[in-house]
Amino acid sequence: MNRNATVWLWRAASFAVAASFIALWQLIANLKLVSPVFLPGPDRAWTSLVRGFSNGDLGNKLAGTLEHMAYGWLAASIAGIAIGAIIGSSRIMRTYVAPSLEFLRPLPVSAIIPVAIAMLGLTQAMALFVIAFGAIWPIMLATIHGFAAVEPRLYEVARSLQMSRLAVIFKVALPSASPDILAGMRLSLTVALILSVVCEILAGLDGLGHWVLLSARAFRSADLFAGVILLGLTGYVTSVAMSMAEHRLLAWQAAQR
Amino acid sequence: MTTDRAKEKAKALLLPLAVLLAFEAWARATHLQSDSLAPPSEIIMALAGAFADFSILTATRDTLFSAFAGLAIGTVIGLALGIAFGISDTLNRLMEVTVEAVRPIPSIALLPIALIALGFGYRMEIVIVAFACVWPILILSRAAVRSIEPRLMEVSRALRLPAAQRVWKIIIPAALPRIFVAFRLSAGIALIVAVTVEIAINPLGLGAGIMLAQQALRPDLMLAYLVWIGAIGYALNILLVVAQHRLFGRAALSGDSA
Amino acid sequence: MANAAKRFEVIPGQPRPQIAFTDVTLQLGGKTIIENLSLGVRPGEFLCVVGASGCGKTTALRLAAGLYQPTSGRVDFDGQLMLHPRREIAIVFQDYGKALLPWRTAAGNVSLALEAGGMPAAERPARIEELLRTVGLPGHAGKYPAEMSGGMQQRLQIARCLAQEPKTLLMDEPFGALDAMTRQGLQDEVLALVAASGATVIFVTHDLDEAIYLGDRVIGLLPHPGRIGIELAVNLPRPRDQLSTREHPEFLRLRRQLFDFIKAAEQ
Repeated sequence: MNRNATVWLWRAASFAVAASFIALWQLIANLKLVSPVFLPGPDRAWTSLVRGFSNGDLGNKLAGTLEHMAYGWLAASIAGIAIGAIIGSSRIMRTYVAPSLEFLRPLPVSAIIPVAIAMLGLTQAMALFVIAFGAIWPIMLATIHGFAAVEPRLYEVARSLQMSRLAVIFKVALPSASPDILAGMRLSLTVALILSVVCEILAGLDGLGHWVLLSARAFRSADLFAGVILLGLTGYVTSVAMSMAEHRLLAWQAAQR
Repeated sequence: MTTDRAKEKAKALLLPLAVLLAFEAWARATHLQSDSLAPPSEIIMALAGAFADFSILTATRDTLFSAFAGLAIGTVIGLALGIAFGISDTLNRLMEVTVEAVRPIPSIALLPIALIALGFGYRMEIVIVAFACVWPILILSRAAVRSIEPRLMEVSRALRLPAAQRVWKIIIPAALPRIFVAFRLSAGIALIVAVTVEIAINPLGLGAGIMLAQQALRPDLMLAYLVWIGAIGYALNILLVVAQHRLFGRAALSGDSA
Repeated sequence: MANAAKRFEVIPGQPRPQIAFTDVTLQLGGKTIIENLSLGVRPGEFLCVVGASGCGKTTALRLAAGLYQPTSGRVDFDGQLMLHPRREIAIVFQDYGKALLPWRTAAGNVSLALEAGGMPAAERPARIEELLRTVGLPGHAGKYPAEMSGGMQQRLQIARCLAQEPKTLLMDEPFGALDAMTRQGLQDEVLALVAASGATVIFVTHDLDEAIYLGDRVIGLLPHPGRIGIELAVNLPRPRDQLSTREHPEFLRLRRQLFDFIKAAEQ
């Protein structure tokens, strides 16, 4: 009880500090220490946020970005886990294929964007391809690692129980690799958000990336900040949601520590 | 043992070589005419050409300059904050909400702000790279400082070292291996962010080079840039891994999982 | 304990052995681990295998489990050539921490064997509860392995093996990592469980006292390559008792004999 109260007190104090930073920002804007063309006060950003949502503009852009991100990330997750499982559970594939994938890992994935544009044009399909391509790496490599690191003893248990190959994958390998896979999916979430924004900027697709770019070009700094705040919020909410999912799915890991 | 290693490496090279050869053969057999693909032989020629007229070298210099400048600034800020938050629990708790609110902003979202504030060029790219690099350094160096053996901190207190010396003589050396891991991660991020900013908007460096090649319908040159960017990413990674081994030995790599 | 007494009277060579090794040689990575091993284990027999480390006792157990295939010779189970592991043969591994699924609760780990055996989901909970009670883990169904002590984890592994309803139970130094008190308790429980189920047991251990205390027969292996060096029938009355059995003159005599054998083998 007491401990809980202390935690909340600290939390409140921390919120107060954050609030004072916003107040400072307001003060700087009010005193026009930085030109209002670049830096709107939090009041103006907030007004713009409310207006954008009430007339539906900003809501649509947010939905667009979430859609790009979600489709690309889901496609990457499914493909990444499937391919990673195949490669990770086969010694031959691990010897011949995995090193090539490791070699490609440090490649800045955004460099694939021009190639995607050349193939698919400035389209929705291009954006989805780029997002999925970028997001697949962390998931696939984590899955390969997770499958390769399954305790061999567990495979022996599965053999002595004469479990089918499918049962071994779903009851032994996949759960055993799940911490790695979920960590990869969390990384990919960030990658997917960044690539969504970049693709929206480049291809002029409906989304927050396009919104912030247009706002910047028109020097509507309040709208610009509203968009950036929303992007930050998107990153925060998706990452919290992922944490909650991990917490639920990996409850057994808490017991191990 | 070493022959086994060599064999493993040879096996690893088999697949990429086969893919390249098959692609070359297919491109020649079909007399490939494409805006997005080119056979490996033409890509190599284009790469050689880009080296000959120094265009790719200039672009590399611009990209690496922005990436490293941003990395340096980001590291200094991240390290200062990370060590401060690691030492002072009070400070850490007070700043928690602020950090959690700012950190998830995707670095690339700052691009339009940096653009109107600073215009095109090195400065806006450096600012964005620095912002992206601050977070991993901050989080990992904070964790590194917190995990320093408590006995060491007691020793420094018993010696009555002044705060500045305690940071310099005890905390930084003790946390250095894990801080270097953070630096390595951030270096990769710095390169990625620099190239991404260039591809998205900034007319300099390798990212702009690859976009220009695409717009000029030169798939050979575009893919040559892609290969070169990949090679730089790979080389940077190898360099830092080797440096980490040299500086801190094997033990440091265990910090990777953290 | 009628079962145990009956088993005790079985005359060697009479019924068909449940597990039979015939001239088994196993080479791994160019090294001969086991050479020309011939061995029959009668149905219901409790066979203990001892030997210095590196004598191939764990390997022999894995051959019996069908996890390894012999390089030459054959291993038969119930008169059939053993080509792969079977559900009628359960194996209790020494490293219980690695052999349990950390993401499943105690109940879930037992359930794995029932699922593999094709038991309908509706019938599982009752059977799981029964098995956990049998091994002395009632009320721990919802715990994860990591929340249990070593002894409890090993009990859980035994419960999973019992869920297979095995004809043969293979145990690879199952109590090697446990403290002395826990070990003695588990020894008696295993004897009771085996007596109740009538299963055949091959029990590998490096503890000579444990081998004599548990077994109907003890064989000692010699190392490099692994082969049988000594074979002792244990004519001690059942049920065994931690105090009186261990003080029995026959126990002491066998202990001495086995001890001398191991000592000679090490030189």
